[in-house]
Amino acid sequence: MKALVPIKRVVDYNVRIRVKGDGTGVDLNGVKMSVNPFDEIANEAALKLKEAGVISEVVVVTIGTAKAEDQLRSELARGADRGIHVVTDEEIQPLQAARILAELVKRENADVVIAGKQAIDDDNNQTPQMLATLLDWPQATFASDIKIDGGKATVQREIDAGAETLEVDLPAVISADLRLNEPRFIKLPDIMKAKRKPLDKVELSEFDIDVPKLEVVSTSNPPAREPGRMVKSVEELVAALKDKGLV
Amino acid sequence: MNFSFDDQQVQFRDAVRSFLVVQAAPEVLREHWETTDSGRSPEMRQKITEQGLTALSVPEAYGGLQQGDLDWVLLLQEVGYHGIPDSLSDAAYVGVGIVAALEDEAFKSEWLGRMCEGKARLAISHPLNPLVHDAQIADLILLWHNDEVHAATPDQVGLELNPSIDASRRLYKLDWTPSDATRVCDAASGKAIWAQAVNRAAVAVGAQMVGLAQRMLDLGVDYSAQRKQFGKPIGSFQAIKHQMADIAVKIEFARPVLHRAAYALQHGDATLEAKVSHARLACAEAALLAARNAMQAHGAMGYTWEADLQMFMKRAWALESFWGDRLFHKQRVAQALFAADAQIGPGTTF
Repeated sequence: MKALVPIKRVVDYNVRIRVKGDGTGVDLNGVKMSVNPFDEIANEAALKLKEAGVISEVVVVTIGTAKAEDQLRSELARGADRGIHVVTDEEIQPLQAARILAELVKRENADVVIAGKQAIDDDNNQTPQMLATLLDWPQATFASDIKIDGGKATVQREIDAGAETLEVDLPAVISADLRLNEPRFIKLPDIMKAKRKPLDKVELSEFDIDVPKLEVVSTSNPPAREPGRMVKSVEELVAALKDKGLV
Repeated sequence: MNFSFDDQQVQFRDAVRSFLVVQAAPEVLREHWETTDSGRSPEMRQKITEQGLTALSVPEAYGGLQQGDLDWVLLLQEVGYHGIPDSLSDAAYVGVGIVAALEDEAFKSEWLGRMCEGKARLAISHPLNPLVHDAQIADLILLWHNDEVHAATPDQVGLELNPSIDASRRLYKLDWTPSDATRVCDAASGKAIWAQAVNRAAVAVGAQMVGLAQRMLDLGVDYSAQRKQFGKPIGSFQAIKHQMADIAVKIEFARPVLHRAAYALQHGDATLEAKVSHARLACAEAALLAARNAMQAHGAMGYTWEADLQMFMKRAWALESFWGDRLFHKQRVAQALFAADAQIGPGTTF
């Protein structure tokens, strides 16, 4: 069984992002970039399934600039077997990413896609769902536990009311939530070994991604939080909340 | 010329940083000090081995990763930043360097192999350090004697514990007698081996001190952003801002000098000793200023057991005279600067 794990290069979660002065986006100059943390979790889930003998090969895929190879190599060092890098400087939106991944799933004849539920840069939470739709595969999103047996995946997923367990037929798309696992640390010898693992470069022109795109009109910082006000009694608190129309 | 570290070196650093953020959090370190006599955790050492750190310098022929001084200089800044209570640099960097330079193949094969597998700890005794770090848990102690290299197992030496201001350090005075049985290298070959070991060790201490300085700066900035006085965070006052900025400037000036010293170590340099000692002095200055100014930002509570700052501050004080005090390193710089054939000017002294 082959698993495909999409990886995205994003601004590191420790970085305090800055909006560009002209409001056209976020300033990425000199900013540390990392693997999207949900994608690390997805890869860890695939690796655990491989160690359990359920999956035979884990292929990590990224779509992005030449520098995105760093993130792909990181996940190869974590343990993935092979990488595919769709090289482009173009901004790729969720539907485009889903179309590229759908094509790669067919080319690779993958049996399961395990993806991060969303990327922490745009927080779209759309690509896995769109991918499942394009492939006409079942989907199990926000997974906090994955078991695969007998051509079916049993996925516990986090929902507002608690936990829900789904059983989906394979092939399927599964998206990983935060509590699915804790990704293993990357070891120094594995970083060296990862340099020798196969990594295929694919041109973006090989994919049909001619779809309507969203246009970002402007980017701005969230409004500054107003200072709080101390009240002396419950009555004063209730009155203040009523004034604001909150009760 | 490209002055930046390569992708693999940066990946190594990031991997070690991610590992230490979790495995060497201050609460974890405190637990080791308070719950064990040795102050060391075998579990942590095992994890460090699994990360590949104990095999980093070991030649590939003995199962190691065969990486050099430039890799270590980045990693040891992380080790300093997280203040791990382990003599990793002495054992896996300096000690492995000494063993790898010896001619006795059987000896090298045994101890380098064991280092790779995490089944050996090395400690080093040298006149620059009257006390030996972590001698009580070493499997092999490498000893200097008139430029000869000796190797002794713990049962061949007497150990007397000596307290350190840094609660994480375990320092021992050694009582031993050199003999033919302990000698593994004569003085003719040993002189160069010890010279390289001192240079490596000085860079290792410098790297840890830069890491410590950065950690104390981060702690000082965090605290001064939270602690309020006169209705404002104290970090908004120039008196505090300037102190923090002074540390940042010292670090920025120390780091390139440190990296140059590591480069000189790895690639060879006619004025290696001066470059190493310059780096060691610059890094110590940064760490000691960071300790003083971060302490000022914290107030007296910075010295208390409960504050994390004291862990890093005391480590910086303890490392100040480790592998050469200021006088030793200033003398080495002076020898290079005041030599009759000294090359002074761009490309040489700066």
